[in-house]
Amino acid sequence: MAKTIDITVPDLGEFENVEVIELLVSAGDVVEREDGLITLETDKAAMDVPSPENGKVESLTVAVGDTVSTGDVIGTMSIQVDDTVVIAPAIAHEPTGDTTVLASPAVEGVAAKSGGVQTLIVPDLGDFEDVEVIEVHIANGDEIDVDDPLVTLETDKAAMDVPAVVGGRIESVLIRVGDSVSAGASLAIIEARASEAPPVDASQATEKTLVMSEAQISEVIASPEQSVQQSGGIQALTVPDLGDFDDVEVIEVHVNVGDEIDIDDPLITLETDKAAMDVPAEFGGKIESMDVSVGDTVSAGASIGSIDARASVAPAAGAPAATETTQAIKTPVSAAPAAPSAPVEQTPRSLPPINESGFSKAHASPSVRKLARELGVNLPEVKGSGAKGRILHDDVKAFVKAILTGKAAARAGAALPKTPVVDFGKFGDVEEQALTRIQKISGPRLQASWINLPHVTQHDEADITELEARRQELKGPAKERGVPLTPLAFVLKACVKALQEFPKMNSSLSEDGKSLVLKKYCHLGFAADTEQGLMVPVIRDADQMTVYELATALAELSGKARDGKLKANELQGASFTVSSLGGIGGTAFTPIVNAPEVAILGVSRSSMQPVWNGSEFEPRLMLPYSLSYDHRVIDGAAAVRFTTYLAQVLADVDGLLEGTG
Amino acid sequence: MADHNAQLLVIGAGPGGYTAAFRAADLGMDVVLVERWDTLGGVCLNVGCIPSKALLHAAKVIDDAQAMADHGVTFGEPKIDALKLRAWKNDVIGKLTGGLGQLAKQRKVRVIHGVAKFTSVNTAVLDSGESIQFEQCIIAAGSEPAMLPNLPDDPRIVDSTGALELDPLPKKMLVVGGGIIGLEMACVYSALGTDVSVVELTDSLMPGTDKDLLRPFLKVIKPRYEAILTSTKVTGMRATVPGIEVSFEGDNAPSIGVYDRVLIAVGRRPNGDKIDADKAGVTVDGRGVIAVDKQMRTNVPHIFAIGDLVPGPMLAHKATHEARVAAEVAAGEKSAFDARSIPSVAYTDPEIAWVGLTETEAKEQGIDYEKSQIPWAASGRALSLGRAEGFTKLLWDKQTERVIGGAIVGPSAGDLISEVALAVEMGADAADIGMTIHPHPTLSETVAFAAEAFEGTITDLYMPKKKPK
Repeated sequence: MAKTIDITVPDLGEFENVEVIELLVSAGDVVEREDGLITLETDKAAMDVPSPENGKVESLTVAVGDTVSTGDVIGTMSIQVDDTVVIAPAIAHEPTGDTTVLASPAVEGVAAKSGGVQTLIVPDLGDFEDVEVIEVHIANGDEIDVDDPLVTLETDKAAMDVPAVVGGRIESVLIRVGDSVSAGASLAIIEARASEAPPVDASQATEKTLVMSEAQISEVIASPEQSVQQSGGIQALTVPDLGDFDDVEVIEVHVNVGDEIDIDDPLITLETDKAAMDVPAEFGGKIESMDVSVGDTVSAGASIGSIDARASVAPAAGAPAATETTQAIKTPVSAAPAAPSAPVEQTPRSLPPINESGFSKAHASPSVRKLARELGVNLPEVKGSGAKGRILHDDVKAFVKAILTGKAAARAGAALPKTPVVDFGKFGDVEEQALTRIQKISGPRLQASWINLPHVTQHDEADITELEARRQELKGPAKERGVPLTPLAFVLKACVKALQEFPKMNSSLSEDGKSLVLKKYCHLGFAADTEQGLMVPVIRDADQMTVYELATALAELSGKARDGKLKANELQGASFTVSSLGGIGGTAFTPIVNAPEVAILGVSRSSMQPVWNGSEFEPRLMLPYSLSYDHRVIDGAAAVRFTTYLAQVLADVDGLLEGTG
Repeated sequence: MADHNAQLLVIGAGPGGYTAAFRAADLGMDVVLVERWDTLGGVCLNVGCIPSKALLHAAKVIDDAQAMADHGVTFGEPKIDALKLRAWKNDVIGKLTGGLGQLAKQRKVRVIHGVAKFTSVNTAVLDSGESIQFEQCIIAAGSEPAMLPNLPDDPRIVDSTGALELDPLPKKMLVVGGGIIGLEMACVYSALGTDVSVVELTDSLMPGTDKDLLRPFLKVIKPRYEAILTSTKVTGMRATVPGIEVSFEGDNAPSIGVYDRVLIAVGRRPNGDKIDADKAGVTVDGRGVIAVDKQMRTNVPHIFAIGDLVPGPMLAHKATHEARVAAEVAAGEKSAFDARSIPSVAYTDPEIAWVGLTETEAKEQGIDYEKSQIPWAASGRALSLGRAEGFTKLLWDKQTERVIGGAIVGPSAGDLISEVALAVEMGADAADIGMTIHPHPTLSETVAFAAEAFEGTITDLYMPKKKPK
């Protein structure tokens, strides 16, 4: 059923009579909760008025130039209220007259991924927020299985599918193509199949029967987010689908009983003959038990242990929505002190996550800290303009405004001279082609690196005659094992060795430019050319890998990059990047550092060259490469030492093959 | 149908509970406040902070009058009318708790007297049998005095509540527990003429407090008290006709002592496990403590907990701040408990107050700090009060020169510490404090002196070793 609600201006704090500078929607638009409806501008900052609910805008009663204050009605919208019996905060209902007895699985929906109405949400996206939905794979009424893709999201790095965590029938799809979503956003309501529920602690699965009149059913309204959390409770942790592998060895256990972990934290590492892989946690919470130890072999579905899962929080409901709900359930109800039921959770109005340790040291007074918490501003990132770097109210507002208007990134470039604007049509026929989404996003990043980092490029070459001869020998047997032993795998291995020798190359400059952050890990990014544009997948812990493992990882990640299947965490965390164009050609180029990394290695095409060995010219296979580096961190001499060392390492094929038996 | 419905149920009307209820009501919520006692205000107003301060004031007047004899003003021996003193104390309580009742009415907070226990995540029941249905709840059920096991059942053995009754004034009293509560009551009884002994299990009074803070205090109380037995264990108590016979075990302790009043002040126990929290799904640990997040939410997001039954010091001023956060979050505001320091005060004579980092903590945590300390002997005001034993100590971050903690010993230290608390919260540095003009002659000047001492700019003392700025 649908109902119409007023859209009001939320609490504007100290501001009154704020000017409407933009209407972001018009009557008839379908919007999602938290979508911006109109933009207000105070003398301090511009801010959007978010939609209180998912629904359709019926009318807007303000125009650009109007002024509004807290609580003013700016329009109306119709919202779809879910007819499914969803229980608002544990209200038991007075039996009156004709009653329908409903054994409601919905109540238990809060307790586990058991059957019942649940909301499918966007999982942790790593660093990404406001990611665009580029495809929706489900429609109302669809029957789906666990892991079926729900939607495809596209970040600036890659497109990724969001799989279903439960199977069942899609009751209602809450998003559309073009929406942008963040972790926790609701995607769809699903009537889950109970049979697929993982084991649930008995105490959580208290049977609960609701007695309510039909009249009341329609009165009991809860916005979906009030019913949907996967609540706390003991959840089983199991080994996911391992593809073709069975009886895989556990080579590392990352958690202990009692540990507090977050969703996607690695639980254990499994090693097949092809690669090691981490099994991530499906839930955040406290580890209750662990059933595996190093050396065990496991297969898909095996129990890893159990976790006391934290209630996952649905995105904050705006105050208007909460009030609406409250009024809807005001119908007198009986308290019928029933047996303890599983906790029914209201929508938590959680604060945006904040770096607490940094926050607690920021030079800001209590009132500024309060404002920062409200706005979700991470104070350590704010530069204080007060005496001795004190962060003032205006600094926090300016920070938010800069982000809202995108000026934070653009400011540096604003003063740069512009390239001339030319009407090319004067000179002949032209066709305009839109940049791909990835190009649109990678462009500013490349520019930011180019503008901010003083780049120097060092060219050098390595004698890979023996390396290539040995690779040709090993290639066939490796291929039989399914490993495409490419030259790039050897180059990556050589880079690992060189980075270990020159740790500064594996560092980043701190934000204030006053110190160097040396990374104790070695995650190698490699540039992958795809139809959508340039992507940089990351091989984690490359220093732990043999050439064969690197080759396997390269093949896997390149494949995923081509198919647009890279996950967010496979695009993050690189500490050094390699860009190989050698497969195509070229003798040298000047790659742009993938900031905040400090160096990038560009690899060109190897060729047979006459090399003077002291008495004669000898034909040697030479590999040219180019190291671009951030001159603020790396001295020229250090860069040459690095490239020279790299040449030595590449010439020593036995060294590169060590660990491979 | 429930007997009462509320958007917000607040359990307990102590400083935390009534603050939460009032703040939530001011934010437009429909609030029911349940209180087990007849009056609002909880332990703090009825049997804690406020009545003890009334008695401590009486004690201080007596002590000050006696001290003036040395300076040429002699009064007669004080006559203690315990009944009248108690009546005055109760009058103070009455004024405050009555005021709270008024404040509740003005805000249309519905006060219900009874003991509430949860029956589900959204319902509670009172001991009267009435049921309450709530949308959200704030648990503010406080704590109660911890008692030692196996004590004889005897009216001469009292807890802090009993000690405030002064009924009758004992000749010889033993205070079991050398914490703040025990020492404050020791102060009162000593001034009223009782021979006081204090026994403490650990090697120091006010365990955890910087030892240097205790020295001026010990200098005052040692000659006045019959015995201060640290590192001493009470091994048994027996009720006899002449008094409570207490046996001790400790290096310098007598094996036995007889007292006509024994005050048990060995701490307080949170009441988290007395409200059937499990029926609401709220997790309570074995000590009655309920864990909460920065927004004071328990593991059940629409149920909050504040005050003595959540982690942290059991202090009314902590509870009231937590209360505001809980009420604001319940009302939909984005508040969080963000205080960087919570001041502690022992209202003994001299008073001992500290805030922020203590030296003990700094050493434990390996924090590189610098200290500046001003003896009150350098303060004209302290000398003219006849109280030169105190001092003011500030701790500094060496890099930023910001004050990160402070402690004050001496009369009114509890009032003086607020400036240091403000400085810590504001991130004030030595120049900020030193360059703020403090009125002369006051005790508050010693805070500015301590800042100047850190800066090396002090003129009221000669501190040659300080680096020039």
